[in-house]
Amino acid sequence: MSDRSPATWLRSAVRRAGEAARSVGRIARWETRRSVGVLDRRTAILGVLALLVAGAVGGAALVGGGALDRDIYRVGVAPDSPYHDVVVEDPALTARAPDPNQLGRGTEVVIRDGRFYVADSAKARAALSTLRDAVGRQNLDRMGAEENTSAAFPVVVTLRYTDRGGETPTDGGGSNGDGDAVGGTSADGDDTDTAPSDGTTAEPSGGLDTDGATRDGPVGVPSLGAAGGLLGGGDSSGSPADISPPFPFASLVLAFLFFVPMNFVIQPYGSTILNERINHRGELLLVTPVSPSAIVAGKTLPYLGLLVSVTALITLAIGGGVTSVAAVAPVATLFLAATFVGAMFARSFKELTFVTVFVSVFLTSYAFVPAIFTNVTPIALISPLTLVVRDLQGVGVTAAEYCFSTGPFYVGSTVLFALGIGVYREEDMFTQRPVPLKFLDALNSRITRPRSVALLSAFSIPFVFIAELLAIAVLFVLPGTVSVPLLLVVVATVEEVAKSVHVYAAVRGPFTDRRTDEFALRLGALSGLGFFLGEKFTAVVQFVGLPDLELGRAAFVSVGDGPTLAIGVLLLLAPLVLHATTASVAALGARRGRYAYLAALVPAIGIHAAYNLVVVTAIA
Amino acid sequence: MRDPRLVIARRELRTLRSEKTIVLALLIQLFIAAFSSFLVVGLVSLSDPGSADGFETTIGVTGDARDDLLRVVDEQPSMTGVAYDSESAARTAFETGSVDAVLLADRRAGRVFVTATAPDNNVQTTVIVVQLRDTLSAFERSERADRSASLSSTPLDLPPRTRSPPYYGFTYTVLLPLLCFLPVFISGSMTVDSLTEEFDRGTLELLRAAPISIVDIVDGKVWAAGVLAPAQTALWIGLLGANGTTVRHPVAILVVVAALALLVVTLGATIALLAPDRRAAQFLYSVGVLAAFGGATLLPSSPVTTVARLAVDSVGPAYPFVVAGYLVVGCGSYLLLRQAVPRADVSGR
Repeated sequence: MSDRSPATWLRSAVRRAGEAARSVGRIARWETRRSVGVLDRRTAILGVLALLVAGAVGGAALVGGGALDRDIYRVGVAPDSPYHDVVVEDPALTARAPDPNQLGRGTEVVIRDGRFYVADSAKARAALSTLRDAVGRQNLDRMGAEENTSAAFPVVVTLRYTDRGGETPTDGGGSNGDGDAVGGTSADGDDTDTAPSDGTTAEPSGGLDTDGATRDGPVGVPSLGAAGGLLGGGDSSGSPADISPPFPFASLVLAFLFFVPMNFVIQPYGSTILNERINHRGELLLVTPVSPSAIVAGKTLPYLGLLVSVTALITLAIGGGVTSVAAVAPVATLFLAATFVGAMFARSFKELTFVTVFVSVFLTSYAFVPAIFTNVTPIALISPLTLVVRDLQGVGVTAAEYCFSTGPFYVGSTVLFALGIGVYREEDMFTQRPVPLKFLDALNSRITRPRSVALLSAFSIPFVFIAELLAIAVLFVLPGTVSVPLLLVVVATVEEVAKSVHVYAAVRGPFTDRRTDEFALRLGALSGLGFFLGEKFTAVVQFVGLPDLELGRAAFVSVGDGPTLAIGVLLLLAPLVLHATTASVAALGARRGRYAYLAALVPAIGIHAAYNLVVVTAIA
Repeated sequence: MRDPRLVIARRELRTLRSEKTIVLALLIQLFIAAFSSFLVVGLVSLSDPGSADGFETTIGVTGDARDDLLRVVDEQPSMTGVAYDSESAARTAFETGSVDAVLLADRRAGRVFVTATAPDNNVQTTVIVVQLRDTLSAFERSERADRSASLSSTPLDLPPRTRSPPYYGFTYTVLLPLLCFLPVFISGSMTVDSLTEEFDRGTLELLRAAPISIVDIVDGKVWAAGVLAPAQTALWIGLLGANGTTVRHPVAILVVVAALALLVVTLGATIALLAPDRRAAQFLYSVGVLAAFGGATLLPSSPVTTVARLAVDSVGPAYPFVVAGYLVVGCGSYLLLRQAVPRADVSGR
């Protein structure tokens, strides 16, 4: 190297990069041509027909409202009763003869002479509740047809959200914004055409000062209606029945819009990767002077391009900007990365189907996170869909927020592609081995020296992050006495497995001749160190990028701010000691084989859970 | 010699077991169920004040319609009203946290204009807004009653309020059908994979060299996939029962699921025989199934509502005929497939 001048070196580097780009492009073109060639005319016609039917059905379901709960409650009501129309019109209710003897057998509720008779069951109470809502809606409809609007809707409500607690004392409170809002409504109120019944779309009221800079400006989602209420913002006005709590409707619709194409695209992508592995088909490409990473890049590029262009089209249709595309693209990448790894590990198409379904379910649920934490904006930022919502609302997205939201997706995709490319070689591609063994092989391909263990630990952080969040989401349903200890154990389990599984892979693979206790301890300590550094790095990023993320800091226990420097250092180093200790315990087991490894995980998880419990109780 | 079709079916099930994919399938279903329940339970408990017990909301009321509004507020369960003479006094109380929301009610031009202020970015926001909506709706009704002379029709009296279980409808109309039909879709997809893989690996040629017909091969695969769906549904019904959710007519539900599984698996097998490779087949299958089930929900009696109605016992005495109808459709499509298979061109790949 020393005899070459920097200019020569640079020139050859550029040339090599150009060659690599050309081969990637060639493989991408080949992949596109072959995939399109698969579609003969019959399939293409069938596919177009199926899509047309699906579209027509979807449209009809949106317009006609296919009710899932059609006729599940039976109400006894005479045809001449004023309630008869209500019961007939509500999809969930069906009318029966008003026979009190049938109560509890053929009917849940009986209406006779203006009185309501209800059977004694949970179902009957649910039926009465549905009936009550239906009557309320019918009354509103009837009032909407009245000539005299001010008598039919005597109350007009303007709902607005205001921060309180004086976090921003210079904000000036709400008093100045209020005058605007009242002025706006009274101006409307003079003419009678403020038909409150159409008030579902929030008219932006004038009181912008009250709400600060976070959400002034109209909601840019034309068809989503309730989107204004998404992140606790958006004022609404109308009849009392029209005001609605902030419901994360927009993020649900967006998740659906953006994720459905991904689910369709990962199917052929998984197929084309698995196809290479059937009957040694991929061998031809492998023996060419093209590197495995170039092959994988070439095969992935068309699908990524397709997904990005579909995303761009959807964004264009709903009126988003570049930010939206930039927010969804990493999700598409992770979808492809996970499918790629799945296809590299799967033994058959059946297995691949289950893997792809699992990938879609997992990632789609993760994107629903804003729906769960809708009232806690910084937490909602975990999902890139929040960035899309903010983009649609015309609110800016800072670079730190973008990194926080999409960072795990970028790192996660990189790690998954790296793992998959690690086993993109003859001895792994064309052999039928159980998925766990393939996984260990993939980890091994990334371990060359003890230090690699620390690196792998650090790179497992995004996955740990995702898994723990989902655990919080799912365990949230259980009562607190059960869910908190369970959550601590789950968190400990996830982290311990993430820290030790590659250690286990390492002592079975590259370090199989160095299985001493001393070496195992060294690997354990390195793994703990790597994990600790990764965790702290994430914490620092969060702290710098999102200073108001208090809940996040509480959820992912991290300590600091000790009363004195000594205690502060102690508190900072305690997690390091913990991670190194538990990883070493697991490593000692891993050295002795599979069962010893599983057995050693138990004390490791126990120590970790106990530590978490102490920290949580000490903070609380 | 044993029936070769049974041998093929058993081999199908054995690969599922050895690949442990069935565990993954059950995990997926459990995960979807848990997550959708979580979403609904979380959102419902926030948006239904009746289920959030002991949450007392204090409302500051001001403006010239104060007294009328205050009367309605005090009638509401778990809500207290406090009167303020001026708007700024109410706002100060809101800022200091002594009231949770402020209602400013003014009479103008024969109407009452209410400006409601609710706290932002707060977990309680949803609960407060829903309570405000209920209160203001009650206020609207009482104001409307005062103006009934100028209305051409009178609103109906509302049925009494009950403490109804908030997830009752969700459990039977969403969760249970989800758990019934996910296994059906997965079974169909499995059949598509299983058949296209035989083509792709060229093993179908070998199988055909054995003394069995192509109908036998398809039979074995259809049986294996068709048995799996009702078995999983039975497991879910049992688990729901253990959790305190009684499912009525379990046998009828299992028959409906089995019939639909047969129909969907037949569809999958047909597509696999017609489509050139797995990519096209899986695409056609997923779009086709989505369209078929989406379209079915538009009918007055879709599979989803049939299962829901059976489970809550909202069926008439004629329900065995409905169940038998599903069975006829399922078996009919399967018999048609068997007729068509020998004529399909499966050798040229």
